[in-house]
Amino acid sequence: MSNGSRLLGELIDALRCLPGVGAKSAQRMAFHLLERERQGGLRLASALESAMRDVGNCTRCRNFSETPVCSLCASASRDKQVLCVVESPSDLAAIEQATGYRGHYFVLLGRLSPLDGLGPDELGLPLLAERLGEGEVDEMIIATNPTVEGEATAHYIGQLAKAAGIRATRLAHGVPLGGELEFVDRGTLAHAFGSRQSLG
Amino acid sequence: MRIEQQPAFVLHARPYRETSLLVECLTPDYGRIGVVARGVRKERARLQRAQLEPFQRIQLDMLLKGELATLRGAEPSGAVMRLTGDAGLAGLYLNELVVRLTGRQDPNAALFAFYERTLRRMAAGEPLAWTLRRFERDMLDSLGYALQLDVDAVQGEPLEPKATYFYDPESGAMPGRAGDPQAIRGADLLALAADQAPDTAGLASLRRMMRQVIGFHLGGGELRAWRVLR
Repeated sequence: MSNGSRLLGELIDALRCLPGVGAKSAQRMAFHLLERERQGGLRLASALESAMRDVGNCTRCRNFSETPVCSLCASASRDKQVLCVVESPSDLAAIEQATGYRGHYFVLLGRLSPLDGLGPDELGLPLLAERLGEGEVDEMIIATNPTVEGEATAHYIGQLAKAAGIRATRLAHGVPLGGELEFVDRGTLAHAFGSRQSLG
Repeated sequence: MRIEQQPAFVLHARPYRETSLLVECLTPDYGRIGVVARGVRKERARLQRAQLEPFQRIQLDMLLKGELATLRGAEPSGAVMRLTGDAGLAGLYLNELVVRLTGRQDPNAALFAFYERTLRRMAAGEPLAWTLRRFERDMLDSLGYALQLDVDAVQGEPLEPKATYFYDPESGAMPGRAGDPQAIRGADLLALAADQAPDTAGLASLRRMMRQVIGFHLGGGELRAWRVLR
């Protein structure tokens, strides 16, 4: 595609690294920035550059952070005795937004999946074991996804907790709120049925 | 080519393009097959992700064109097999083993049957180590790499239960020295051949032997799952 400008071509090409952005959307974005949003474009450029350069992973929880210890881990108002293990930073954000959880987190940045080349070391499990060994944590909430790999990961991490003498809990899974049994998939229904609770 | 109602187990799924999944399935008539499930990662997908999880027998409708097939429909068949705890980790090992040792579209109905039987055994809580060794033996057999477990490779004499051997992946059981890390008792090899579970020490030697044999057939590589299974 030729549009008369080499820099424009490069910008369009670079924008395509974003998820969901193909050639057409990349071109629209580039034209929009150049025609109407020069200021915004410059802000984007500088924010992008500093984030890409300075954001790393927290040495305590592995979440994204530009400081060695992230603000969640450094916060004095959070409960140090509860540790919630999640697969990704977006899972952490979801739990922060939906629940009133005030404890700490540990982000695996993946799940045990031999076929994807993800083993205990890639998930930072030695760091997690070390953290459990510090003796501050009383309960570990394992919030990996309810997939086969997420369950296997939960089991593996549960063993680490057991070895450290820490209570491990797992998120419940079942019928979604407002759902109808008729339309719930078999696996979920079997799970929900198996882990039913007493009333009152 | 349209394929209807093909029994299958999902071995692995990974994101493909924006909203699709590339699912590796094991089927009786087409062996391992890569199937593209379009749009299943969308929030309001017609077909739910839950139906494409491993360890659940499903029936696939697909369109096979070249190396990959396109998924047209998938529905569960049979009860849900829940592999919990160590069985879940063992299941991931099983899937890695099958993906790494098989080529795509190499029909193998026997392997499919062995795989299904193994999942049932694991779901029923049978001892994992022995269940995995039986599967490895049967799988190697169905791929044409059958183990020679009853006669020694040098003389062709029947194995002595009390004697010590080491198993060479290329030739078979060779006379070995006790104390060698790869040493294995004749009784343990015979037990695997006769499908009789050996004692704990025997299971440990069979596991060492199998890792070596599988490593050989992988071309010297190792399986990631070995680092997870203790």
